[in-house]
Amino acid sequence: MKLAHAISLRLLFGALSLLFISLVTFVAGAMAPYDAATIEAGEKATAADLVRIRHEMGLDRPWPVRYVEYLENAAHGDFGHSYAGQKKPVNQIIAERLPITAEVAGLAIILAAGVGIGLGTLGGIYRNKAPDRAVLTLSTLGVTVPNFVLAPLLVYIFAYKLNQLPVTWKMDRPQGDFYYLVLPVTILAARPAAMITRLTRQSMIDTLQQEFIRMGIAKGVPRFRLNVRHALRNAILPVATAIGTSFGFLLTGSFVMDRAFTIPGIGSATIEAITSNDMPVVQACVLVTGAMFIGINMLVDIVLPFLDPRIRESQV
Amino acid sequence: MRRVLRNPLLLFGILFLLLLFLFALLGPVVRTNQLRPPGSTNFDAVTDRIGKTYETPQWPEKPLGTDENGRDVLARLAQGARVSLLVGVVVQVFAVGAGVLVGVLGSFAGRWVRMPLLRFTDAMFAFPDILLAILIVGTFAGAGLGVIPVIVALGITAWPSFARLTVTQIASVRDREYVVAARAAGASTPYLVTRHILPQVLPLVLAVSMVEMAGTVLSESTLSYIGIGIQPPNPSWGNMISDVRQADITAHVPQLVAPCLILSLTIFALNFVGDGVLAALDPKKGA
Repeated sequence: MKLAHAISLRLLFGALSLLFISLVTFVAGAMAPYDAATIEAGEKATAADLVRIRHEMGLDRPWPVRYVEYLENAAHGDFGHSYAGQKKPVNQIIAERLPITAEVAGLAIILAAGVGIGLGTLGGIYRNKAPDRAVLTLSTLGVTVPNFVLAPLLVYIFAYKLNQLPVTWKMDRPQGDFYYLVLPVTILAARPAAMITRLTRQSMIDTLQQEFIRMGIAKGVPRFRLNVRHALRNAILPVATAIGTSFGFLLTGSFVMDRAFTIPGIGSATIEAITSNDMPVVQACVLVTGAMFIGINMLVDIVLPFLDPRIRESQV
Repeated sequence: MRRVLRNPLLLFGILFLLLLFLFALLGPVVRTNQLRPPGSTNFDAVTDRIGKTYETPQWPEKPLGTDENGRDVLARLAQGARVSLLVGVVVQVFAVGAGVLVGVLGSFAGRWVRMPLLRFTDAMFAFPDILLAILIVGTFAGAGLGVIPVIVALGITAWPSFARLTVTQIASVRDREYVVAARAAGASTPYLVTRHILPQVLPLVLAVSMVEMAGTVLSESTLSYIGIGIQPPNPSWGNMISDVRQADITAHVPQLVAPCLILSLTIFALNFVGDGVLAALDPKKGA
């Protein structure tokens, strides 16, 4: 019963965060130097035309009214029309771009979690020995070297020197051709992987110092079994939270990857929209990416108590 | 001091940052004077073309070559250092100021100020940093305000972590005996905060801001790299990296490696210095 209370509290907090993001994007739209009326009126419109059009579009109403309307439309998936080019509906643009970003980011988070937990466990077990030093160096590099520095470096090595991997994204790539994904996904995963590695290592070190591990050694549990079944299972829980938060870095990274590898994802849609003052698209992109971030973190927080009885107890 | 000298990474970080500061201060001036063609007065080596296209490095007139518009890479690197340091320092000064202020108010102000302030901090904290920065920069991208939207965007995203840090630090200090004693002796809250509590909290906050400045420098170059930060023809390390298109990587190695290297080293150095000072502040933690 208490668990249901905790979960509903978390859902409420997620909804509030979403509301906050929508408010921020709305305010940004209202503050932008261009509004829908200026675009609608065109360049030759007089000031009187502008006032008339603004009134017809309802843009001169007080902002709380417009915010509620914006919220209502957004909840129905209606983000208005793009100002630029063919004036496509914004939700169509999102529908085209989002799956690509979701694919790249999803694969990257899986890769980052796998590599991070693996290396972190290794580092934790061999604390202060050679494997641990290697892991620490690698993860420090992963956290500090920017991904747009890593991108040309890996492209230089794998695409030009070894001539193994393609550099640019092609929309008409054959089904199942995942070579286009290798470089962007790997580079995108680097930073989250490094952060997960550090956290797993620390968590592993903490767990290995606990008494039930000494008990395990005393009663003769095989070392590998002790490390994996006993220690890792306990150490991995804080890591789950980190996977959620590192998704934020993944979103940042996907803006960079879209640019570096010309991927037509949400990131490049946002940048294109910003450079052409296309505010409805910017608002929708930020809202959708923000919602993804909140959703993932909420999911992690809700799943966690089911994995760990200690959290379940503490929430009572 | 001895502890500082014994840490080679910290020493490297301090030396590198000093050199970088000199480079940013003197580099653009020296290079511009050197490259100015005879007879011209308002020539800018950073933004004006010298040649027509990429040129390979030649000692001593163009040690790092020129970029795709024939502009001197070394001069642009120095100007980029100015941008990075300016953005980094201004953003951190604002973030520390605002964060500590909110932290103090969030700890001592009345309930009706404190609670909304802390909840607002939480909400800002939950908002993915770079998204907010992109939204703010994007809103004012067409207004032609130069570096200001970048500073505002990064400043607004940077302060919540300092507010949180200040709140937790104040919570650990405010019930210590010397604070309670001072209060018992009749000290007012403003006196208590400025004389007894902030001196305990600020060193840690400043050390953390060194580490956070690495993040700010990185964010500025990220925004410039994706094309919405510092706008051409003005240079930033980020847009210098993205200017070398991927098809040109093999042909123009120095033009690409120079900004990559200086950016990475700057981030390393700031992290080393921040971590080093943190370790020096807390002898128990610093191994």
